[in-house]
Amino acid sequence: MLKTKAVAFSLVASLCVASPLLAEETLKVGVQAPITGAYANEGQGIDQSVRLLAEQINAKGGVMGRQIEVISCDDEGTAMKAAICAKDLVNKGVSMVIGSYTSTCAEAAQATYFRAGVLQTSDGTSDTLTEHGYWTFFRNSFPNSAEATFSAEYMVNEKKYQRIAILSDFSSYADGLATAVEDAVKKQGGNIVAREKVKAGAQNFTPVLTQLKSKDPDVIFYAGYYSDGGLIRSQQVALGIKADFIGGDANDNVDFVKLAGNAAEGAYIINVPTPELLPYDLAKDFLAAYQAKYNMMPPSIWTILNVDGMRAFIHAMETNQSFDTKKAAEYLHTLKDYPGITGPISFAPDGNRVGSGYMTYRIQKDGTYEIVYK
Amino acid sequence: MDIFLQQLVNGLTIGSMFALIALGYTMVYGVMKLINFAHGDLVAGSAFVGLFVFSELLGGQISFAVVLGVFALTIILISLLGFTVERLAYRPLRNAPRLSAVVSALGASMVIQNGIMLIWGPQMRIFPELIPTIIWDIGGVVVSLIQVLIMVLSMLLMVGLYFFVEKTKIGTAIRASAIDQDAARLMGINVNNIIVTIFIIGSSLGAVGGLFIGLYYRGITFNMGWQYGLYAFVAAIMGGIGNIPGAMLGGILLGLFNAFIAGYISSTWSDAFTFILLIVILIVRPTGILGERVAEKV
Repeated sequence: MLKTKAVAFSLVASLCVASPLLAEETLKVGVQAPITGAYANEGQGIDQSVRLLAEQINAKGGVMGRQIEVISCDDEGTAMKAAICAKDLVNKGVSMVIGSYTSTCAEAAQATYFRAGVLQTSDGTSDTLTEHGYWTFFRNSFPNSAEATFSAEYMVNEKKYQRIAILSDFSSYADGLATAVEDAVKKQGGNIVAREKVKAGAQNFTPVLTQLKSKDPDVIFYAGYYSDGGLIRSQQVALGIKADFIGGDANDNVDFVKLAGNAAEGAYIINVPTPELLPYDLAKDFLAAYQAKYNMMPPSIWTILNVDGMRAFIHAMETNQSFDTKKAAEYLHTLKDYPGITGPISFAPDGNRVGSGYMTYRIQKDGTYEIVYK
Repeated sequence: MDIFLQQLVNGLTIGSMFALIALGYTMVYGVMKLINFAHGDLVAGSAFVGLFVFSELLGGQISFAVVLGVFALTIILISLLGFTVERLAYRPLRNAPRLSAVVSALGASMVIQNGIMLIWGPQMRIFPELIPTIIWDIGGVVVSLIQVLIMVLSMLLMVGLYFFVEKTKIGTAIRASAIDQDAARLMGINVNNIIVTIFIIGSSLGAVGGLFIGLYYRGITFNMGWQYGLYAFVAAIMGGIGNIPGAMLGGILLGLFNAFIAGYISSTWSDAFTFILLIVILIVRPTGILGERVAEKV
């Protein structure tokens, strides 16, 4: 009897000690990313890098005394799951969400975060993301329209292609980019011979490519994701289509080269600088920490862009000395040149990231990138 | 004309793969009157096992012997898996109502699919280029070595299977079991052994189909079995389920139809047209193109 009393007492005592610790408030950060599915390596990259950044901040005492708690939700790269994730993360009380990787998923979740007053940052490049007027949304990459101008300039004036074929899938990012490139090419006086769409994940692209072949293009611009882009490049070469291949930004991923195999050599990719090319000390430190923790490099630049979005949010909260998201957003909308891993971060009042430096890479025999135009 | 011939080659290539996979469905249905939903996942599993055999067991260096080894070991492992599925998921339900077996088949499919995900992860894996990229340009029509291999090997396997079923003693036993299991048993045929045999043959053909998918498309995902399984299932129904030449014909027709719709109309609509074609065939010939008309027993 005495023993049970002692046990009960010690239990009560330990609860009294434990409860203040439990009640300690954390800063909840949501990650909405395709952790499984076709874009899994990007989703895992975003999740891993957010967790790494949270760990680094927590080690330094957290944000204004609060530790960061990361809550992930897997949107599988589908709009349906993205909407579910948004509700789930809002219910769990996050004050900011990092993600998602695809524009489609970011857009499907946007309104929910806006209504709940939760800050969201995504690398989605679809122009429509910033056209809804949601004060909660911040794009940490650069919009399609900027990339389209650069791509058209490169194809029409630099490479002087005479017969341009444009291919995309049906996602809001890819279709938006393809349309923007089409407009920009026409504006610069280029000649478009074909504009086709493929189904993401279809695996067999030979029918469409055969159709393109009959149009005799000298370049195929693919606006879409690496998981299809790599296959399209390999099937293009297997069909003996001599045209150059230019992949839009989402083809920039280690898996593109693996999927395309021997056909990868000679393909071009247009994107902002890759992680390895970032000249900033912040970038070198973060990449070294990532390499040390996960024993691999981030899958692409998108991972790092999302980290920058999160860093800007935290910086805003610390500057305001407040966890209020509305105040943070007001501050962010006028943010100028905050040092980021991917270069200075400035936001326009509509939530777009300002400034862009695109490059054209040519994939070499060993799978590495060579800068051919910037 | 070039384009027509090119689409023909493309269509025959994917059609041969569909046909190989469809045979697995049709053989099992023929004898057991059961749709083996796990078959598509066995096919997906084969691509992953092939990748594993190549990179982990055979050292990852490409040579002719290694490619043969990959095929041989993968076929053995996948037919063992098919055998296990039959033992664990179907045999205990041999005398149970048909619906129980269907649910068990769906369960087996999920177990295999999630098993692949647990072992190899949810992300896309990349199949090595075991067959060198060699292409021939014949008057504007481009044919690659891998396409030729897929078409020729599939043809050989299908012709071999046809003669096995039509001319050998075991083949006769398979046909007898398909017609009437009880009567076959009375004739001294061990129907259980016949079922094991068809599971092993079906899985082996599926394994070859899975390896072809890996070799041809390169990117393999744990849940792709569903997609290929569905196509092959449609092919089997189109040709007349339970009928072996029907599955071959159905597969090739489906591949060609897919290629031409995607090439001449739109790749977006190829699935829709495929299923419209299926509905039309089922309305005109409810038992499929080569299916036998069976009188309904009332």
